[in-house]
Amino acid sequence: MVWELTEVPGNPTPLQHSTVDVVAANIVPKVTNTLIRQLNQVCPLENLRHVKRVRRRVVCGENSELSIILCLSTGPDNCNEGFPEEVQKIVENYHLSPFIAKVASCSATSKEEWEEQCRLWPTSYHPPHDIDGVSGFKEEELPSIFHCMRTAMQLSQVGNTAIIVDPSSMQMISKATDQTHQRDTCLKGNKCAMVEADNANSFPEAIEDKADTLLPSSSRFCNGLDREVSCINPFGWMKQRCTEQKTLPSEGGFLWHPLWHAAVVAIENAAERDRMTFPASTSSTTQPKLNGDVDNCSDDEPAKRLKIVANDEEQSTHPAHSSDLPERNRPYLCTGFDIYLVWEPCTMCAMALVHQRFKRVFYAFPNPVTGALGSVYRLHGKKSLNHHYSVFRIKVPEAYLNGSTDCSEKGCSNSVSS
Amino acid sequence: MRRNLDDRLPPLEQFVRRISGAPPSCARSLTLGAQPMPATAFMELALDQAKFALDNLEVPVGCVIVENGKVIASGSNRTNATRNATRHAEMEAIDVLLQEWQSIGLDQTLVAEKFAGCDLYVTCEPCIMCASALSILGIREVYFGCPNDKFGGCGSVMSLHESLLSDDLTGSQDTRSRGFKCTGGIMAEEAVALFRNFYEQGNPNAPKPHRPVRVDQQ
Repeated sequence: MVWELTEVPGNPTPLQHSTVDVVAANIVPKVTNTLIRQLNQVCPLENLRHVKRVRRRVVCGENSELSIILCLSTGPDNCNEGFPEEVQKIVENYHLSPFIAKVASCSATSKEEWEEQCRLWPTSYHPPHDIDGVSGFKEEELPSIFHCMRTAMQLSQVGNTAIIVDPSSMQMISKATDQTHQRDTCLKGNKCAMVEADNANSFPEAIEDKADTLLPSSSRFCNGLDREVSCINPFGWMKQRCTEQKTLPSEGGFLWHPLWHAAVVAIENAAERDRMTFPASTSSTTQPKLNGDVDNCSDDEPAKRLKIVANDEEQSTHPAHSSDLPERNRPYLCTGFDIYLVWEPCTMCAMALVHQRFKRVFYAFPNPVTGALGSVYRLHGKKSLNHHYSVFRIKVPEAYLNGSTDCSEKGCSNSVSS
Repeated sequence: MRRNLDDRLPPLEQFVRRISGAPPSCARSLTLGAQPMPATAFMELALDQAKFALDNLEVPVGCVIVENGKVIASGSNRTNATRNATRHAEMEAIDVLLQEWQSIGLDQTLVAEKFAGCDLYVTCEPCIMCASALSILGIREVYFGCPNDKFGGCGSVMSLHESLLSDDLTGSQDTRSRGFKCTGGIMAEEAVALFRNFYEQGNPNAPKPHRPVRVDQQ
């Protein structure tokens, strides 16, 4: 068994076969342009913008047949009457013989669906992830995607782990584990993670030596449900009772935090990295508030300074990218970034990922209790949200999970299939 | 509506942390004699917080948390200042309490008991993230102003305030989703008016739309 990547669709039934009837007619090639123009004027296909007006298909070997949509059908057998007046004129002028055809009623949401639609009547398809190919990732990205997930799993000592990666540079932006419980390493581990993330400029190289080592405690991935994972057991924090309540650090911070699931902490770490790496871009914004001179502070000024900073940093580690650097600005939130989670996030975390504008979410193990990205809810399919990311599940080979422990094969397959 | 607006705004200077800069009115106790305060009185204070956010070029949402008829925490949206789009008013107020309770040595069980006696007043329906968080904390009751058609987690897009789930996969009650009582529409017009102000106020520092955020594919 090998590592596998599958997209988790936002819509539980992506292949909607719903169609609508239209009135169409075969036409000769030389009138095509004229008819398209006329029909688009007199009878535009308002609610069927994804449908192409003309279909060309090959009949009897090499003869191609052109058909054009005249208008929507108003009844089941309405081939010859009830057209708008202008359409009727066109039918008469060009001696057309209308027939009923079926077209897809909605634009396709996946390449597969589009191909299916085109068998009926051609439609246009605009994949949501236009830069990265139809399914949201490129084939050549797969090794690094799996690599990132291996890294997340290796970091995952207890509970869930999240790592945020900028796929354009393969830079690790931040990483975090669940911080809902008080642990000895809790605060320290969190701080370290941030510093390390800052230093890990060349992310794949930085973790290369660890990449092939075995998981520290892989058996826990095989039990199907890990109750230590905050997203799976969101109310578990209440049950924790510290034997020794530590005192809070004077500068603030928390010993434990019921809402600090790995994804939430990773987002805060990324935000903190942003604030520390690009402090200049904020300095101009409250100033105008104070002196009232708002207009002088265009967005360009901090941006220019940032470019220089980014340039210096980047050139040392990514000489190959230097030519693109003038384009490179401080990102807005986590726009364009990927997040890797060992376990599928709960609704709180999944919505936090929407707010922070992630591009892609990868998880390895489904969360049947509160999973919001496929298992219980499909948050990424909610149309009303102002941002949508694509979601992928990475299937981890059993051999990898079995690597270092006596985890039974049955347990593994349960966890994967649930 | 809320988060859309965030797009227009660049982050702010590290301005004074919430409490020190917040309107003074929110710190005082709100009981007139023995009379319990009506919901609108607390919502007024939440609106003050929202105005504070507006003054700082943040999306104007504010909240207060009430225990035994007293405001014990307040929060306003700080998504721009923190560059963390999850720093909604609710999260800010929750963190004030967690910090305070941990500093006086309350452990998890006691903190959970405290939240179970708290009500939240927020100017806009909690989003899906905040509604989940409020359920995780076990807050008693939520009162909100205007609905949140795009992200609302208390009825608009999802209904996380309703107790549902679960077929109890683990055989433990811990995993059940816990609801809370939720009442909307309290001073909704005032809350909406603030959003409208936010639009009108405009934002001279708004980033150019569609600016490049990443290196082109090679």
